[in-house]
Amino acid sequence: MLSRRSFLTSLAAALPLTVLVRRAHAAAVTHLESDPTTLDALAAAVLPSELGRAGIARVAREFRDWGAKYRENAELVHGYGTSRLRSTGPTPLTRWTAQLDELEAQAQSAHQRRFRDLTVAQRADLVRAAVQGQRLDRMPSVADANHVAVALLAHFYDSSAATDLCYNAQIGNRTCRPLSASSRKPLPTIKLRER
Amino acid sequence: MRRAIESDVCIIGSGISAAMVADRLARTTSAKIVVVEAGDETIPLPQRAAMRERFLRYGENPWGRDHLEGYEVDGPLQSRSMQVGGLAMHWGGVTPRFSPEDFKHQSMFGVGTDWPISYDELDPYYQEAEELMGVAGEQGPPELDPRGKPFPMPALPLTYNLELLKTWASTAGVAMWSQPSAKNSVAYRGRAQCCRNDTCSPICPVGAKYSPDFTWSELRRTNKVRLVPRTLVRKLVLDPTGKTLSHAVAVDRDHADQPVEFHAKLFVVAAGYTWSSHLLLLSAQNGAPNGVANASGLVGKYLTGHRNVQGFVELPLRLYPGMNEQHSLVTKQFMRLKPGSTFIRHDLRVWESSMGRTPRLADDSGALMLGDAILEDWRARTKTGTARVRAYYDVIPDRASELTLDATRKNQWGDPLPKLAFHDAPESVALRAQTEDSIRALFANMAKAGDGKLLRTSVDNFQDHPSGGCRMGSDPSASIVDSWGRAHDHENLFVVGAPTSVSGSCANATLTFCAVSLRAAHEIEKGLPRRV
Repeated sequence: MLSRRSFLTSLAAALPLTVLVRRAHAAAVTHLESDPTTLDALAAAVLPSELGRAGIARVAREFRDWGAKYRENAELVHGYGTSRLRSTGPTPLTRWTAQLDELEAQAQSAHQRRFRDLTVAQRADLVRAAVQGQRLDRMPSVADANHVAVALLAHFYDSSAATDLCYNAQIGNRTCRPLSASSRKPLPTIKLRER
Repeated sequence: MRRAIESDVCIIGSGISAAMVADRLARTTSAKIVVVEAGDETIPLPQRAAMRERFLRYGENPWGRDHLEGYEVDGPLQSRSMQVGGLAMHWGGVTPRFSPEDFKHQSMFGVGTDWPISYDELDPYYQEAEELMGVAGEQGPPELDPRGKPFPMPALPLTYNLELLKTWASTAGVAMWSQPSAKNSVAYRGRAQCCRNDTCSPICPVGAKYSPDFTWSELRRTNKVRLVPRTLVRKLVLDPTGKTLSHAVAVDRDHADQPVEFHAKLFVVAAGYTWSSHLLLLSAQNGAPNGVANASGLVGKYLTGHRNVQGFVELPLRLYPGMNEQHSLVTKQFMRLKPGSTFIRHDLRVWESSMGRTPRLADDSGALMLGDAILEDWRARTKTGTARVRAYYDVIPDRASELTLDATRKNQWGDPLPKLAFHDAPESVALRAQTEDSIRALFANMAKAGDGKLLRTSVDNFQDHPSGGCRMGSDPSASIVDSWGRAHDHENLFVVGAPTSVSGSCANATLTFCAVSLRAAHEIEKGLPRRV
């Protein structure tokens, strides 16, 4: 069977750049969809345990969906006070899938086991090693994250669910909510741990 | 082949000022109205939820490709956006009125230039604009916030956060209330009630915020206007006397080889602060060598706006950011100066904020946090809250604050693009440091009153809510249009909205652009057949 890397290499020789990039994105989506185990194991290592196993799996699934629907060269929202236009960059999925492969390789190299079979602490150590030397002074936007682990964190912590979890309150930011309820203190979240 | 489109009134531009004028004329006259818009049709309301979703997830422009190619302008263009509905498709919907002092800077404070109209004269047109758009507002203390009639809608309720912040401001001696907004606190004229989606700018997915497309949809549905999109007006042509406009020459972006002419009895230029002056300057011709309506040489001059000082105050309050982040408290307490006072005027707004209280990747030592550590760290930092405070302050426009034609940059049809430069008048230059220090001191005092801490302040160098370039006035040698928006030089040409501003006040200006546009419409309709 043709490996993902071999497939990309053979594509590079044959196709124009735009087609190549589009197909590389599609290949990365397929890769993540068909083999989500490394990403799921990564999610379990970097996301808060309060989410529970099902909650963590949901975040990982939403992250894959985010990646699958990413569009390159889409016009970004206009800046204020400037006529300069900006567009989205190349798909981050290709580097993220490569980074997942790298985590697998490191797991094999250091522990002779699949990444998913490592303890959470062992997986976290591999993530720390992978992002060593990178800027960590702020949570980046998902697309700008240099590493898939940071992208996954950025994706979760930008969500309304994360804010509610932090505040233990039903704030529901950026969701459609009754105007009349805004004057009262947000109600506590209902602790329904997903299984 | 040349195409000619005839009408009684030709409105150039389809932004919020154009919508006000068209709505008024369609209600009160039977005139044939044609509206010309360079940009594309806007995204229909049913598609906006999906566009908003992509904006939230990826930062994509929710309005599609709402711009003309090749329009990279030298200078601080407010927005590149160009579409049916104009910039008010993605405005924040914030609608304070100016205060009475705004119209009398020279006579009250000896700076700048008085407007040729007073606040009292404009009050009924403010009201008309508020009713047309649907403004939800709370009457402030009457001495600070005078108005002839109540707001058409009850105020947007203050969130739990803003209630706490209002009490804090009160402790600091600042009386604040709910910021008037063109957002529906109740269902209004067939549009939905606001449900706090909190992306008013750039996009409201439910139509609770007013945007001009709602006016255009209704006027087009009832055949009261004909709106011609994707058509850029390039020149206004005078008749041989030079006193009146004959027609406008445009390019249909889909058929650039077929020029379009718009013939009308009256022309209304409603293309915002940049493109209105730009068109007048582009229209230089025999009898108007410096451009149409430009005998004074002041078209494009006296661009105006306001600057702001912003700060963040840490307070010992448990706030819940995200309840309705774009809504704010406001006060006009610092806009109402006594005559002869030093000209330091500003508004003041307070928002909930998550500044300094967002999740982070690394702890104080710079070590990466993972798993539960990030959440624990975030929780520890959100036991207290942050308020955002911001004050717009007046900047008196200078003559050199101007739009000119840029000989080095042309659009695809060979017309020079505009070039923008903003300069403070000498009296504003002299007061700038004192003004900003005064605002920072206010922020610090407010922080102290709430046992809080002023975290940081910044000054935005961009002049916000830009306007001017075709300012109104009584003296034809010192202004472009009269108080009704009629060009001093051409009896059948009106300029409305933002470009006619004399000064930019220290508050969001869109409602004032709408009010002066409606006042112009009242004058325009006098020459048109009444609707029976």
